[in-house]
Amino acid sequence: MSTETLSAPVAPPKPRRAARTVREMLTRNPVILKELRGRMRGMRAFVLLTLHVMLLSGFVTLIYGAYAATSTNVYNSVSNQVVGKIVFGAVVGLELLLVCFITPALTAGAISGEREKQTFDLLRTTLLPAYALVLGKLGSAMLFVLILLVAALPLQSLAFLLGGVAPEEFFISVVLLVATAFLFGTAGIFFSSLMRRTLGSTVLSYGFALLDTLGLPLVMLALLPVVGILFSGSRNEFAEAVFIYVMGLLIACNPIAAAITTEILLSDPTYHTLFYFTIPLSGSFSIPLISPWLPCILFCFGLGALLLLVSIRVVNHAER
Amino acid sequence: MPAIIETRHLTKRYTRLTAVNELSLSVEQGAIYGFVGPNGAGKTTTMRMLTTLLQPTSGQAWVAGCSIARDPRGVRRAIGYMPDFFGVYDDMKVWEYLDFFAACYEIPEVQRTHLIGDLLELVDLSHRREDMVDTLSRGMKQRLCLARTLAHDPQILILDEPASGLDPRARIEIRELLVELSRMGKTIFFSTHILADVAEICTQVGIVEAGKLVAQGDLAEMQRRLMPHRRLQITLLGQVEETQQALLGREGVLEMRLPQPTTSDSKNGEAQPAHPILEVDFAGDDAAVSALLHDLVQRGLPVLRFSEAVHDLEEVFMQATKGIVT
Repeated sequence: MSTETLSAPVAPPKPRRAARTVREMLTRNPVILKELRGRMRGMRAFVLLTLHVMLLSGFVTLIYGAYAATSTNVYNSVSNQVVGKIVFGAVVGLELLLVCFITPALTAGAISGEREKQTFDLLRTTLLPAYALVLGKLGSAMLFVLILLVAALPLQSLAFLLGGVAPEEFFISVVLLVATAFLFGTAGIFFSSLMRRTLGSTVLSYGFALLDTLGLPLVMLALLPVVGILFSGSRNEFAEAVFIYVMGLLIACNPIAAAITTEILLSDPTYHTLFYFTIPLSGSFSIPLISPWLPCILFCFGLGALLLLVSIRVVNHAER
Repeated sequence: MPAIIETRHLTKRYTRLTAVNELSLSVEQGAIYGFVGPNGAGKTTTMRMLTTLLQPTSGQAWVAGCSIARDPRGVRRAIGYMPDFFGVYDDMKVWEYLDFFAACYEIPEVQRTHLIGDLLELVDLSHRREDMVDTLSRGMKQRLCLARTLAHDPQILILDEPASGLDPRARIEIRELLVELSRMGKTIFFSTHILADVAEICTQVGIVEAGKLVAQGDLAEMQRRLMPHRRLQITLLGQVEETQQALLGREGVLEMRLPQPTTSDSKNGEAQPAHPILEVDFAGDDAAVSALLHDLVQRGLPVLRFSEAVHDLEEVFMQATKGIVT
């Protein structure tokens, strides 16, 4: 046996692909690692996570308690499915609400905070590209939101224990939650890159979140009676179709409304659809529509990507 | 020596204010260049343009051969920048802070541990490696920031008032560190208000006022250009008026002053009135100075000491600037 064979270096075992990708993501973008280190250090993250889980568990306990108090037979499988659906819907709804209002707080100070801390110029003179800074900030916020969502999974799994929740409902809820976090996260980054102060950026980010979650439903509520008066007695199918599409668009722009509508469509035996359905108009025609979760995801990721691009451009620009 | 930083008619104009006006300067490779000027003279604006943080209105600049307009990434690779006001991430440990910036400068992870050790040793912070950044004193934070600028081994250090707000000891430590870095081959371009630091360590000086470069060069050259006359100091035992009469109207004598005499300590420690010192601004070569001394002695005037005062940077600065504030 030759000495060459004996002394041939043994290649170290390669880490598994997923682990390697996460590691590369963390080490290639130093901002993510720095932000996560800062975020997870100390009591703040632990307290927030605990409060999040406590709030959700309290809510689930309340719902289950109310059901157990009113139901005559808690061992009935049909009624268990109903409560399973209610628990699942309540947890997802509350998570959506929390994501809408926690994510902007995580990103509203991303860039403006660097300006306030007088570290922005230090970063700008390094070789770190603007996109890496912006994506790093967004990535770390999204990872933290992911931790919150994962922490709530055991509560969601209670619904599976009771039954009544289909896998596609779970899938849609996860995708909607991630898309919502992405939209409100990028909105926070966008306002943060525009504003010099975090206070201003936070106000605008929450303004955006409020406008989307509460403002749009109010607009829809205001539109309904107006349209009712306009269409009373008439049989204008074109106007009816336009109205339905406009309402559909407004629903798609609001993740909470989109989630509720999607759930209604899935639960309703008339439609029971995941992607596509038709609505009959007052005449003989019916119009095709897609389930609101799809355009909602497109809206969240589309607008989010646009806000992200503008943010990168703003950060990249030298002062004029 | 080739220029490593060069600006040509660099101008930064805001709506109502011209912060930097047609500034053309040249910094030699390996120099310690002191960029001096009153507040609002345009020092920070110039530095921000050189570090690609600010776009010039007109003019051009090159740093390590890279145009600040066309190759900002090349400029960033060549420089280490420390602004006058800077923050540190308080929620990080000292080593994490350097590790983060080393990663921002694309230094591979495997090299970073060794590099951080070296940098901390250079700025004498090895013993604080595991401490949180917010527990460091201001001087230490300044040194840490300086270590940060060195993470990618840049050719040039651009430092905006690196010693501002520091106590005397920390100031001296920073000054010594700059000299050490210069010995390591770095070109150092720094702005300061502390003229003593400039006089002590700078090989080149640029004086800027109202956005314009009013003087540039090494200190001796600048003194010759800005203050061409010599300042003679004649210490007399008496007969001051006679001496003044003898000098009055003499060729080369530009001006005479008699500063208030101070007290001097005698050998036994008692304060005694000092001898009058006549200060004479004189334009002439060494032979003319010698002839002047000879003449005074010939007249029997009691000259105790005859010397030439060296112009310090403060005088040069006052001569170069007019106190214009933009």
